[in-house]
Amino acid sequence: MVIYREEYRLYNFGPDHPFSPVRLEMLTSLLQALGVWRAPLSPPEASREEVLSVHSERLVKRVEAASRGELYPDLEHYGLGTGDTPVFPGMDRAARILVGGTLEGARRIMAGEKRVLQLGGGLHHAQYDRASGFCVYNDLSVAIRHMTQVGLRVAYVDIDVHHGDGVQWIHYEEGEVLTLSLHESGRYLFPGTGHVYEIGRGAGLGKKLNLPLEPFTEDESYLEVFEALVPWALKAFRPDVLVVQAGADAHYLDPLADLLLTARAYERLFRLLLEYAEAYAGGRVLFTLGGGYSLDGTVRVWALLYHLFHGLPLPERLPEGWLRTWEARLGRPLTPTLHDPEGAYPEIPRREEIAKRNRLTLQRLTELVAPHLLH
Amino acid sequence: MLVRDVMKSPVLTVGPEATLEEAYKLLLERGIRHLPVVEEGRLVGIVTDRDIRLATSHLNPKGPCPGCTRVGEVMTREVVTAHPLDPVEEAARVMRERKIGCLPVLEDEALVGIVTGIDLLDALLRLTGVTEPSGRLEVRLPDRPGELARLTGFLAGRGVNIHSLLSYPEGREFVRAVVRVNTLETHLLAEALRREGFDVLWPPKKPW
Repeated sequence: MVIYREEYRLYNFGPDHPFSPVRLEMLTSLLQALGVWRAPLSPPEASREEVLSVHSERLVKRVEAASRGELYPDLEHYGLGTGDTPVFPGMDRAARILVGGTLEGARRIMAGEKRVLQLGGGLHHAQYDRASGFCVYNDLSVAIRHMTQVGLRVAYVDIDVHHGDGVQWIHYEEGEVLTLSLHESGRYLFPGTGHVYEIGRGAGLGKKLNLPLEPFTEDESYLEVFEALVPWALKAFRPDVLVVQAGADAHYLDPLADLLLTARAYERLFRLLLEYAEAYAGGRVLFTLGGGYSLDGTVRVWALLYHLFHGLPLPERLPEGWLRTWEARLGRPLTPTLHDPEGAYPEIPRREEIAKRNRLTLQRLTELVAPHLLH
Repeated sequence: MLVRDVMKSPVLTVGPEATLEEAYKLLLERGIRHLPVVEEGRLVGIVTDRDIRLATSHLNPKGPCPGCTRVGEVMTREVVTAHPLDPVEEAARVMRERKIGCLPVLEDEALVGIVTGIDLLDALLRLTGVTEPSGRLEVRLPDRPGELARLTGFLAGRGVNIHSLLSYPEGREFVRAVVRVNTLETHLLAEALRREGFDVLWPPKKPW
Protein backbone atom coordinates (compact mmCIF):
# COMPACT_ATOMS: atom_id res chain seq x y z
CA MET A 1 0.00 0.00 0.00
CA VAL A 2 1.31 3.42 -0.98
CA ILE A 3 0.38 6.52 1.02
CA TYR A 4 0.56 9.96 -0.58
CA ARG A 5 -1.38 13.14 -1.08
CA GLU A 6 -0.70 16.23 -3.14
CA GLU A 7 -0.67 18.44 -0.04
CA TYR A 8 2.64 16.88 1.04
CA ARG A 9 4.09 19.53 -1.24
CA LEU A 10 2.83 22.30 1.05
CA TYR A 11 5.85 21.47 3.23
CA ASN A 12 7.95 24.03 1.41
CA PHE A 13 10.73 26.22 2.82
CA GLY A 14 11.02 28.28 -0.35
CA PRO A 15 12.52 27.99 -3.83
CA ASP A 16 16.19 27.94 -2.80
CA HIS A 17 15.81 25.42 -0.01
CA PRO A 18 17.22 21.92 -0.63
CA PHE A 19 14.30 20.06 1.03
CA SER A 20 12.24 20.78 -2.03
CA PRO A 21 8.71 19.62 -2.87
CA VAL A 22 9.89 19.43 -6.49
CA ARG A 23 11.36 16.05 -5.49
CA LEU A 24 7.88 14.63 -4.98
CA GLU A 25 6.48 16.25 -8.09
CA MET A 26 9.34 14.84 -10.15
CA LEU A 27 9.05 11.37 -8.57
CA THR A 28 5.30 11.01 -9.06
CA SER A 29 5.49 12.31 -12.62
CA LEU A 30 8.26 9.80 -13.37
CA LEU A 31 6.20 6.92 -11.98
CA GLN A 32 3.24 8.09 -14.05
CA ALA A 33 5.38 8.35 -17.18
CA LEU A 34 6.63 4.82 -16.55
CA GLY A 35 3.02 3.65 -16.30
CA VAL A 36 3.42 2.14 -12.83
CA TRP A 37 1.67 4.78 -10.70
CA ARG A 38 -1.39 3.45 -8.92
CA ALA A 39 -3.79 5.65 -6.98
CA PRO A 40 -2.32 5.99 -3.47
CA LEU A 41 -4.19 6.08 -0.19
CA SER A 42 -4.78 9.68 0.86
CA PRO A 43 -4.10 10.01 4.61
CA PRO A 44 -5.76 12.40 7.06
CA GLU A 45 -3.55 15.02 8.68
CA ALA A 46 -2.32 14.24 12.19
CA SER A 47 -4.11 16.01 15.03
CA ARG A 48 -2.44 18.36 17.49
CA GLU A 49 -2.75 15.67 20.20
CA GLU A 50 -1.02 13.11 17.98
CA VAL A 51 1.90 15.51 17.43
CA LEU A 52 2.02 16.07 21.20
CA SER A 53 2.62 12.35 21.74
CA VAL A 54 6.31 13.05 20.99
CA HIS A 55 6.68 16.86 21.07
CA SER A 56 6.45 19.51 23.77
CA GLU A 57 3.49 21.84 24.04
CA ARG A 58 5.83 24.85 23.87
CA LEU A 59 7.34 23.73 20.56
CA VAL A 60 3.93 23.07 18.99
CA LYS A 61 2.65 26.45 20.23
CA ARG A 62 5.53 28.22 18.53
CA VAL A 63 5.06 26.35 15.25
CA GLU A 64 1.34 27.18 15.27
CA ALA A 65 2.02 30.84 15.98
CA ALA A 66 4.71 31.04 13.28
CA SER A 67 2.20 29.48 10.85
CA ARG A 68 -0.01 32.51 11.45
CA GLY A 69 2.90 34.89 11.07
CA GLU A 70 3.30 35.50 14.82
CA LEU A 71 6.94 35.07 15.69
CA TYR A 72 7.96 34.30 19.28
CA PRO A 73 11.25 36.10 20.04
CA ASP A 74 12.87 32.84 21.24
CA LEU A 75 12.17 30.83 18.07
CA GLU A 76 15.86 30.09 17.50
CA HIS A 77 16.05 28.19 20.79
CA TYR A 78 13.46 25.87 19.33
CA GLY A 79 15.41 25.43 16.09
CA LEU A 80 12.87 27.52 14.17
CA GLY A 81 13.41 30.55 11.98
CA THR A 82 16.95 29.38 11.22
CA GLY A 83 18.58 29.13 7.81
CA ASP A 84 17.90 25.39 7.76
CA THR A 85 14.38 25.42 9.18
CA PRO A 86 12.78 28.77 8.36
CA VAL A 87 9.16 29.45 9.23
CA PHE A 88 6.47 29.79 6.56
CA PRO A 89 2.71 30.42 6.55
CA GLY A 90 0.78 27.24 7.20
CA MET A 91 3.83 25.25 8.32
CA ASP A 92 2.01 23.62 11.23
CA ARG A 93 -0.63 22.05 8.99
CA ALA A 94 1.93 21.19 6.27
CA ALA A 95 4.00 19.32 8.85
CA ARG A 96 0.93 17.64 10.35
CA ILE A 97 -0.05 16.36 6.89
CA LEU A 98 3.33 14.59 6.58
CA VAL A 99 3.00 13.21 10.11
CA GLY A 100 -0.51 12.05 9.21
CA GLY A 101 0.83 10.00 6.31
CA THR A 102 3.38 8.10 8.36
CA LEU A 103 0.89 7.66 11.20
CA GLU A 104 -1.68 6.29 8.75
CA GLY A 105 1.00 3.81 7.65
CA ALA A 106 1.33 2.64 11.25
CA ARG A 107 -2.46 2.31 11.59
CA ARG A 108 -2.69 0.26 8.41
CA ILE A 109 0.03 -2.08 9.61
CA MET A 110 -1.76 -2.49 12.94
CA ALA A 111 -4.91 -3.32 10.94
CA GLY A 112 -3.11 -6.17 9.18
CA GLU A 113 -1.39 -4.56 6.18
CA LYS A 114 2.12 -5.98 5.64
CA ARG A 115 3.95 -3.42 3.54
CA VAL A 116 3.39 0.33 3.49
CA LEU A 117 5.33 2.90 1.48
CA GLN A 118 4.77 6.46 2.66
CA LEU A 119 5.94 8.73 -0.17
CA GLY A 120 6.92 11.56 2.14
CA GLY A 121 7.99 12.23 5.71
CA GLY A 122 11.12 10.80 7.29
CA LEU A 123 11.72 13.98 9.31
CA HIS A 124 14.19 12.28 11.61
CA HIS A 125 15.99 15.34 13.05
CA ALA A 126 12.96 16.85 14.84
CA GLN A 127 13.36 16.44 18.59
CA TYR A 128 11.01 16.55 21.56
CA ASP A 129 11.60 20.23 22.18
CA ARG A 130 13.11 21.53 18.96
CA ALA A 131 12.81 21.55 15.21
CA SER A 132 16.10 20.83 13.46
CA GLY A 133 17.66 20.25 10.08
CA PHE A 134 14.60 20.80 7.80
CA CYS A 135 12.41 18.81 10.22
CA VAL A 136 9.54 20.46 12.13
CA TYR A 137 7.60 17.48 13.53
CA ASN A 138 8.94 13.94 13.78
CA ASP A 139 6.49 11.81 11.79
CA LEU A 140 8.58 8.67 12.38
CA SER A 141 8.44 8.96 16.16
CA VAL A 142 4.72 9.72 16.18
CA ALA A 143 4.13 6.52 14.16
CA ILE A 144 6.56 4.48 16.27
CA ARG A 145 4.95 5.64 19.52
CA HIS A 146 1.49 4.87 18.15
CA MET A 147 2.63 1.28 17.64
CA THR A 148 4.54 0.83 20.91
CA GLN A 149 1.52 2.12 22.84
CA VAL A 150 -0.37 -1.02 21.84
CA GLY A 151 2.59 -3.20 22.81
CA LEU A 152 4.39 -3.65 19.49
CA ARG A 153 8.17 -3.85 19.32
CA VAL A 154 9.48 -1.55 16.61
CA ALA A 155 12.84 -1.70 14.84
CA TYR A 156 13.78 1.55 13.11
CA VAL A 157 16.42 1.46 10.37
CA ASP A 158 17.71 4.81 9.10
CA ILE A 159 19.81 4.86 5.92
CA ASP A 160 19.68 8.64 5.48
CA VAL A 161 23.25 9.97 5.24
CA HIS A 162 22.66 12.10 8.36
CA HIS A 163 22.35 10.63 11.85
CA GLY A 164 18.73 9.90 12.83
CA ASP A 165 19.19 11.93 16.00
CA GLY A 166 15.60 13.01 16.63
CA VAL A 167 14.21 9.47 16.56
CA GLN A 168 17.13 8.22 18.65
CA TRP A 169 16.77 10.83 21.41
CA ILE A 170 12.96 10.62 21.57
CA HIS A 171 13.11 6.84 22.17
CA TYR A 172 16.50 6.79 23.92
CA GLU A 173 15.23 5.16 27.10
CA GLU A 174 12.65 2.86 25.51
CA GLY A 175 13.33 -0.87 25.47
CA GLU A 176 10.66 -1.64 22.89
CA VAL A 177 12.24 0.56 20.20
CA LEU A 178 15.45 -0.46 18.44
CA THR A 179 16.99 2.39 16.47
CA LEU A 180 19.71 1.64 13.97
CA SER A 181 21.26 4.50 12.04
CA LEU A 182 23.92 4.21 9.36
CA HIS A 183 25.28 7.62 8.43
CA GLU A 184 28.32 9.63 7.49
CA SER A 185 30.41 10.26 10.60
CA GLY A 186 29.27 13.15 12.76
CA ARG A 187 32.89 14.19 13.16
CA TYR A 188 32.30 16.18 10.01
CA LEU A 189 28.65 16.12 9.07
CA PHE A 190 25.46 17.51 10.59
CA PRO A 191 24.13 16.90 13.24
CA GLY A 192 27.46 15.84 14.77
CA THR A 193 26.03 13.01 16.87
CA GLY A 194 25.60 9.30 16.12
CA HIS A 195 28.77 7.96 17.71
CA VAL A 196 29.06 4.23 18.41
CA TYR A 197 28.97 4.91 22.14
CA GLU A 198 25.45 6.39 22.01
CA ILE A 199 23.75 3.10 22.88
CA GLY A 200 20.66 4.12 24.85
CA ARG A 201 19.87 4.50 28.54
CA GLY A 202 17.76 2.67 31.10
CA ALA A 203 15.46 0.18 29.42
CA GLY A 204 16.77 1.44 26.07
CA LEU A 205 20.38 0.47 26.83
CA GLY A 206 21.89 -1.49 23.94
CA LYS A 207 18.86 -0.80 21.75
CA LYS A 208 20.16 2.35 20.05
CA LEU A 209 22.78 1.52 17.44
CA ASN A 210 24.89 3.91 15.41
CA LEU A 211 27.27 3.04 12.62
CA PRO A 212 29.09 6.24 11.62
CA LEU A 213 30.85 5.74 8.29
CA GLU A 214 33.92 7.40 6.84
CA PRO A 215 33.38 10.15 4.27
CA PHE A 216 33.75 8.72 0.72
CA THR A 217 32.50 5.28 1.73
CA GLU A 218 31.49 3.40 -1.44
CA ASP A 219 28.93 0.71 -2.27
CA GLU A 220 31.03 -2.30 -1.37
CA SER A 221 32.10 -1.15 2.08
CA TYR A 222 28.64 0.19 2.94
CA LEU A 223 26.95 -3.07 1.98
CA GLU A 224 29.56 -5.13 3.81
CA VAL A 225 28.88 -3.46 7.16
CA PHE A 226 25.13 -3.15 6.52
CA GLU A 227 24.78 -6.86 5.82
CA ALA A 228 26.85 -7.74 8.88
CA LEU A 229 25.03 -5.42 11.26
CA VAL A 230 21.35 -5.12 10.36
CA PRO A 231 20.26 -8.81 10.30
CA TRP A 232 22.34 -9.45 13.42
CA ALA A 233 20.56 -6.67 15.33
CA LEU A 234 17.09 -7.52 14.01
CA LYS A 235 17.50 -11.17 14.86
CA ALA A 236 18.50 -10.31 18.41
CA PHE A 237 15.74 -7.73 18.91
CA ARG A 238 12.83 -9.69 17.31
CA PRO A 239 10.66 -6.74 16.24
CA ASP A 240 6.98 -6.90 15.33
CA VAL A 241 7.44 -4.26 12.67
CA LEU A 242 10.25 -2.58 10.77
CA VAL A 243 10.22 1.18 10.08
CA VAL A 244 12.68 2.34 7.43
CA GLN A 245 13.74 5.94 6.83
CA ALA A 246 14.89 5.68 3.21
CA GLY A 247 16.75 8.96 2.76
CA ALA A 248 18.55 9.04 -0.60
CA ASP A 249 21.30 11.48 0.33
CA ALA A 250 24.06 8.89 0.69
CA HIS A 251 24.02 8.89 -3.13
CA TYR A 252 27.29 10.14 -4.65
CA LEU A 253 25.53 13.04 -6.40
CA ASP A 254 24.22 14.49 -3.15
CA PRO A 255 25.44 18.07 -2.70
CA LEU A 256 25.20 18.09 1.12
CA ALA A 257 27.16 14.99 2.13
CA ASP A 258 30.13 12.83 1.23
CA LEU A 259 29.13 9.18 0.91
CA LEU A 260 29.39 7.61 -2.54
CA LEU A 261 26.54 5.13 -2.94
CA THR A 262 25.23 4.42 -6.42
CA ALA A 263 21.71 3.33 -7.34
CA ARG A 264 23.08 -0.25 -7.48
CA ALA A 265 23.76 -0.12 -3.74
CA TYR A 266 20.27 1.26 -3.11
CA GLU A 267 18.73 -1.53 -5.16
CA ARG A 268 20.54 -4.06 -2.99
CA LEU A 269 19.64 -2.19 0.24
CA PHE A 270 15.92 -2.12 -0.59
CA ARG A 271 15.88 -5.80 -1.58
CA LEU A 272 17.66 -6.67 1.66
CA LEU A 273 15.33 -4.56 3.80
CA LEU A 274 12.30 -6.30 2.28
CA GLU A 275 13.97 -9.67 2.94
CA TYR A 276 14.82 -8.70 6.53
CA ALA A 277 11.21 -7.63 7.10
CA GLU A 278 10.09 -11.10 6.00
CA ALA A 279 12.74 -12.89 8.04
CA TYR A 280 12.63 -10.91 11.27
CA ALA A 281 9.48 -8.74 11.44
CA GLY A 282 6.66 -10.96 10.18
CA GLY A 283 6.87 -9.19 6.82
CA ARG A 284 5.62 -5.92 8.33
CA VAL A 285 7.51 -2.88 7.08
CA LEU A 286 6.77 0.83 6.80
CA PHE A 287 9.04 2.84 4.49
CA THR A 288 9.22 6.62 4.50
CA LEU A 289 11.27 8.98 2.35
CA GLY A 290 13.78 11.38 3.94
CA GLY A 291 16.76 13.46 2.85
CA GLY A 292 18.03 13.55 -0.72
CA TYR A 293 19.12 16.81 -2.27
CA SER A 294 20.30 15.87 -5.73
CA LEU A 295 17.06 15.81 -7.73
CA ASP A 296 18.65 13.53 -10.32
CA GLY A 297 19.92 10.93 -7.85
CA THR A 298 17.10 11.14 -5.31
CA VAL A 299 14.23 10.67 -7.75
CA ARG A 300 15.89 7.59 -9.31
CA VAL A 301 16.60 6.05 -5.90
CA TRP A 302 13.00 6.48 -4.78
CA ALA A 303 11.66 5.24 -8.14
CA LEU A 304 13.75 2.12 -7.51
CA LEU A 305 12.20 1.78 -4.06
CA TYR A 306 8.69 2.09 -5.55
CA HIS A 307 9.40 -0.66 -8.12
CA LEU A 308 11.02 -3.06 -5.65
CA PHE A 309 8.28 -2.41 -3.11
CA HIS A 310 5.68 -3.53 -5.66
CA GLY A 311 7.87 -6.31 -7.07
CA LEU A 312 7.84 -4.64 -10.50
CA PRO A 313 10.54 -5.27 -13.12
CA LEU A 314 13.04 -2.39 -13.23
CA PRO A 315 13.05 -0.20 -16.31
CA GLU A 316 16.47 0.48 -17.80
CA ARG A 317 15.91 3.81 -19.50
CA LEU A 318 13.76 6.64 -18.24
CA PRO A 319 10.95 7.85 -20.54
CA GLU A 320 12.21 10.34 -23.15
CA GLY A 321 9.27 12.71 -22.77
CA TRP A 322 9.72 12.89 -19.01
CA LEU A 323 13.46 13.52 -19.39
CA ARG A 324 12.89 16.30 -21.94
CA THR A 325 10.26 18.00 -19.79
CA TRP A 326 12.37 17.98 -16.62
CA GLU A 327 15.66 18.80 -18.32
CA ALA A 328 13.97 21.87 -19.80
CA ARG A 329 12.46 22.83 -16.46
CA LEU A 330 15.68 22.35 -14.45
CA GLY A 331 17.95 23.66 -17.18
CA ARG A 332 20.44 20.81 -16.90
CA PRO A 333 20.88 17.26 -18.19
CA LEU A 334 19.58 14.29 -16.18
CA THR A 335 20.87 10.73 -16.00
CA PRO A 336 18.81 8.96 -18.70
CA THR A 337 18.87 5.52 -17.04
CA LEU A 338 17.46 4.30 -13.72
CA HIS A 339 20.92 3.19 -12.70
CA ASP A 340 24.04 5.34 -12.62
CA PRO A 341 26.59 5.14 -15.43
CA GLU A 342 29.77 3.12 -14.81
CA GLY A 343 32.71 5.10 -13.40
CA ALA A 344 30.49 8.01 -12.50
CA TYR A 345 32.98 9.52 -10.09
CA PRO A 346 36.79 9.37 -9.98
CA GLU A 347 38.53 6.51 -8.21
CA ILE A 348 38.95 7.06 -4.48
CA PRO A 349 42.61 6.53 -3.53
CA ARG A 350 41.91 5.73 0.14
CA ARG A 351 39.31 3.05 -0.62
CA GLU A 352 41.01 0.24 1.32
CA GLU A 353 41.70 2.39 4.35
CA ILE A 354 38.09 3.59 4.39
CA ALA A 355 36.77 0.02 4.23
CA LYS A 356 39.11 -0.97 7.05
CA ARG A 357 38.00 1.90 9.28
CA ASN A 358 34.33 1.08 8.67
CA ARG A 359 34.98 -2.54 9.66
CA LEU A 360 36.67 -1.33 12.84
CA THR A 361 33.72 0.95 13.65
CA LEU A 362 31.33 -1.99 13.17
CA GLN A 363 33.47 -4.10 15.49
CA ARG A 364 33.45 -1.39 18.18
CA LEU A 365 29.69 -1.02 17.88
CA THR A 366 28.96 -4.74 18.18
CA GLU A 367 31.31 -5.04 21.15
CA LEU A 368 29.52 -2.17 22.88
CA VAL A 369 25.94 -3.33 22.35
CA ALA A 370 26.29 -7.12 22.28
CA PRO A 371 26.21 -7.54 26.09
CA HIS A 372 22.88 -5.62 26.22
CA LEU A 373 21.24 -6.71 22.99
CA LEU A 374 21.96 -10.44 23.03
CA HIS A 375 20.24 -12.62 25.59
CA MET B 1 36.46 28.48 31.44
CA LEU B 2 37.70 28.75 35.02
CA VAL B 3 38.75 26.21 37.63
CA ARG B 4 35.55 26.90 39.58
CA ASP B 5 33.54 25.79 36.49
CA VAL B 6 35.12 22.34 36.39
CA MET B 7 36.18 21.61 39.99
CA LYS B 8 34.39 19.12 42.23
CA SER B 9 32.97 20.45 45.45
CA PRO B 10 32.49 19.79 48.34
CA VAL B 11 35.71 17.84 48.82
CA LEU B 12 36.12 14.63 50.76
CA THR B 13 39.12 14.94 53.16
CA VAL B 14 40.92 12.97 55.87
CA GLY B 15 42.91 13.97 58.95
CA PRO B 16 46.64 13.12 59.24
CA GLU B 17 45.86 10.71 62.10
CA ALA B 18 43.66 8.48 59.94
CA THR B 19 45.17 5.07 59.15
CA LEU B 20 46.00 4.06 55.61
CA GLU B 21 43.35 1.36 55.88
CA GLU B 22 40.67 3.94 56.66
CA ALA B 23 41.85 6.26 53.88
CA TYR B 24 41.95 3.44 51.35
CA LYS B 25 38.44 2.34 52.27
CA LEU B 26 37.23 5.88 51.65
CA LEU B 27 38.88 6.00 48.22
CA LEU B 28 37.36 2.67 47.25
CA GLU B 29 33.87 3.50 48.50
CA ARG B 30 33.73 6.86 46.74
CA GLY B 31 35.56 5.73 43.60
CA ILE B 32 38.17 8.49 43.85
CA ARG B 33 41.97 8.64 43.81
CA HIS B 34 42.93 11.76 45.76
CA LEU B 35 42.33 12.80 49.36
CA PRO B 36 43.40 16.22 50.64
CA VAL B 37 44.60 15.98 54.23
CA VAL B 38 43.13 18.65 56.50
CA GLU B 39 44.10 19.50 60.07
CA GLU B 40 42.20 22.19 62.04
CA GLY B 41 40.60 23.42 58.83
CA ARG B 42 43.94 23.88 57.12
CA LEU B 43 45.26 21.89 54.14
CA VAL B 44 48.41 20.12 55.33
CA GLY B 45 48.95 17.50 52.64
CA ILE B 46 47.53 15.21 50.01
CA VAL B 47 47.42 11.43 49.81
CA THR B 48 46.64 9.41 46.68
CA ASP B 49 45.69 5.80 46.07
CA ARG B 50 49.18 5.37 44.64
CA ASP B 51 50.83 6.67 47.84
CA ILE B 52 48.80 4.16 49.82
CA ARG B 53 49.49 1.24 47.50
CA LEU B 54 53.23 1.96 47.55
CA ALA B 55 53.30 2.38 51.32
CA THR B 56 51.42 -0.87 51.87
CA SER B 57 53.23 -2.93 49.23
CA HIS B 58 55.13 -6.07 50.20
CA LEU B 59 58.02 -4.51 48.30
CA ASN B 60 58.14 -1.66 50.80
CA PRO B 61 61.40 -2.18 52.79
CA LYS B 62 59.63 -1.18 56.02
CA GLY B 63 56.96 -3.81 55.38
CA PRO B 64 53.26 -3.21 54.93
CA CYS B 65 51.16 -2.18 57.88
CA PRO B 66 47.93 -0.60 56.64
CA GLY B 67 46.37 -0.63 60.06
CA CYS B 68 49.21 1.05 61.96
CA THR B 69 50.59 3.56 59.44
CA ARG B 70 49.06 7.05 59.57
CA VAL B 71 48.15 9.19 56.56
CA GLY B 72 50.42 11.91 57.98
CA GLU B 73 53.46 9.66 57.48
CA VAL B 74 53.01 9.03 53.75
CA MET B 75 51.22 12.15 52.51
CA THR B 76 52.83 14.75 50.24
CA ARG B 77 53.30 17.90 52.29
CA GLU B 78 54.16 20.56 49.76
CA VAL B 79 50.78 20.63 48.03
CA VAL B 80 50.43 22.45 44.73
CA THR B 81 47.05 24.20 44.69
CA ALA B 82 44.82 26.24 42.42
CA HIS B 83 42.50 29.19 42.90
CA PRO B 84 38.83 29.06 41.75
CA LEU B 85 39.44 31.96 39.37
CA ASP B 86 42.45 30.38 37.64
CA PRO B 87 41.75 29.57 34.00
CA VAL B 88 41.48 25.81 33.34
CA GLU B 89 44.42 25.90 30.94
CA GLU B 90 46.62 27.19 33.74
CA ALA B 91 45.54 24.31 35.96
CA ALA B 92 46.27 21.91 33.09
CA ARG B 93 49.73 23.42 32.55
CA VAL B 94 50.67 23.16 36.23
CA MET B 95 49.49 19.57 36.45
CA ARG B 96 51.34 18.65 33.25
CA GLU B 97 54.60 20.33 34.28
CA ARG B 98 54.63 18.94 37.80
CA LYS B 99 53.30 15.58 36.61
CA ILE B 100 50.57 15.52 39.23
CA GLY B 101 47.03 14.21 39.02
CA CYS B 102 45.05 16.83 40.91
CA LEU B 103 45.01 20.30 42.42
CA PRO B 104 43.15 21.11 45.63
CA VAL B 105 41.43 24.47 45.15
CA LEU B 106 41.99 27.05 47.91
CA GLU B 107 40.24 30.34 48.45
CA ASP B 108 41.54 32.42 51.39
CA GLU B 109 43.26 29.30 52.78
CA ALA B 110 39.96 27.39 52.82
CA LEU B 111 39.65 24.22 50.77
CA VAL B 112 36.70 24.85 48.41
CA GLY B 113 37.16 22.19 45.73
CA ILE B 114 39.43 19.83 43.86
CA VAL B 115 40.25 19.54 40.17
CA THR B 116 41.62 16.30 38.70
CA GLY B 117 42.78 15.12 35.29
CA ILE B 118 39.32 13.67 34.68
CA ASP B 119 37.71 17.07 35.28
CA LEU B 120 40.07 18.54 32.68
CA LEU B 121 39.03 15.84 30.19
CA ASP B 122 35.42 16.84 30.87
CA ALA B 123 36.44 20.43 30.15
CA LEU B 124 38.03 19.31 26.87
CA LEU B 125 34.81 17.52 25.91
CA ARG B 126 32.79 20.63 26.70
CA LEU B 127 35.16 22.78 24.66
CA THR B 128 35.27 20.48 21.63
CA GLY B 129 32.13 18.35 21.87
CA VAL B 130 28.88 18.63 20.01
CA THR B 131 26.25 20.19 22.23
CA GLU B 132 23.80 21.25 19.50
CA PRO B 133 22.90 19.67 16.16
CA SER B 134 25.50 21.25 13.90
CA GLY B 135 27.82 20.86 10.93
CA ARG B 136 31.55 21.40 10.87
CA LEU B 137 33.79 23.71 8.87
CA GLU B 138 37.55 23.65 8.96
CA VAL B 139 39.39 26.67 7.56
CA ARG B 140 43.10 27.52 7.32
CA LEU B 141 43.62 31.21 8.02
CA PRO B 142 46.73 33.36 7.63
CA ASP B 143 48.13 34.12 11.10
CA ARG B 144 47.42 37.85 11.18
CA PRO B 145 44.96 40.22 12.83
CA GLY B 146 41.42 40.27 11.49
CA GLU B 147 41.35 36.92 9.68
CA LEU B 148 39.11 35.18 12.20
CA ALA B 149 36.87 38.25 12.23
CA ARG B 150 36.64 38.03 8.44
CA LEU B 151 35.53 34.40 8.75
CA THR B 152 32.97 34.95 11.51
CA GLY B 153 31.75 38.14 9.82
CA PHE B 154 31.11 36.16 6.66
CA LEU B 155 29.10 33.55 8.58
CA ALA B 156 27.15 36.23 10.43
CA GLY B 157 26.35 37.90 7.11
CA ARG B 158 24.69 34.68 5.93
CA GLY B 159 22.68 34.32 9.15
CA VAL B 160 24.65 31.27 10.24
CA ASN B 161 24.90 30.78 14.00
CA ILE B 162 28.20 29.49 15.42
CA HIS B 163 27.83 26.85 18.15
CA SER B 164 31.52 26.46 18.89
CA LEU B 165 34.81 27.70 17.54
CA LEU B 166 38.28 26.30 18.13
CA SER B 167 41.51 27.55 16.69
CA TYR B 168 45.09 26.41 16.99
CA PRO B 169 48.39 27.36 15.34
CA GLU B 170 49.51 25.41 12.28
CA GLY B 171 53.19 25.99 11.57
CA ARG B 172 54.33 29.60 11.81
CA GLU B 173 52.15 31.21 9.21
CA PHE B 174 48.69 29.73 9.67
CA VAL B 175 45.91 29.19 12.17
CA ARG B 176 43.46 26.32 11.82
CA ALA B 177 39.89 27.26 12.75
CA VAL B 178 37.30 24.56 13.43
CA VAL B 179 33.80 25.99 13.51
CA ARG B 180 30.56 24.17 14.37
CA VAL B 181 27.63 25.90 12.67
CA ASN B 182 23.86 25.39 12.89
CA THR B 183 23.37 24.17 9.35
CA LEU B 184 23.18 21.01 7.22
CA GLU B 185 24.46 22.93 4.26
CA THR B 186 28.16 23.11 5.03
CA HIS B 187 29.08 22.22 1.44
CA LEU B 188 27.31 25.31 0.15
CA LEU B 189 28.94 27.44 2.85
CA ALA B 190 32.34 26.01 1.94
CA GLU B 191 31.81 26.89 -1.72
CA ALA B 192 30.85 30.43 -0.83
CA LEU B 193 33.88 30.75 1.47
CA ARG B 194 36.19 29.50 -1.30
CA ARG B 195 34.77 32.12 -3.63
CA GLU B 196 35.74 34.71 -1.00
CA GLY B 197 39.31 33.36 -1.03
CA PHE B 198 39.22 31.27 2.15
CA ASP B 199 41.23 28.03 2.27
CA VAL B 200 38.52 25.56 3.35
CA LEU B 201 39.89 22.16 4.39
CA TRP B 202 36.55 20.59 5.31
CA PRO B 203 34.13 19.86 3.73
CA PRO B 204 36.25 19.06 0.67
CA LYS B 205 35.54 20.16 -2.85
CA LYS B 206 34.02 17.31 -4.85
CA PRO B 207 35.68 16.75 -8.21
CA TRP B 208 32.41 15.55 -9.84
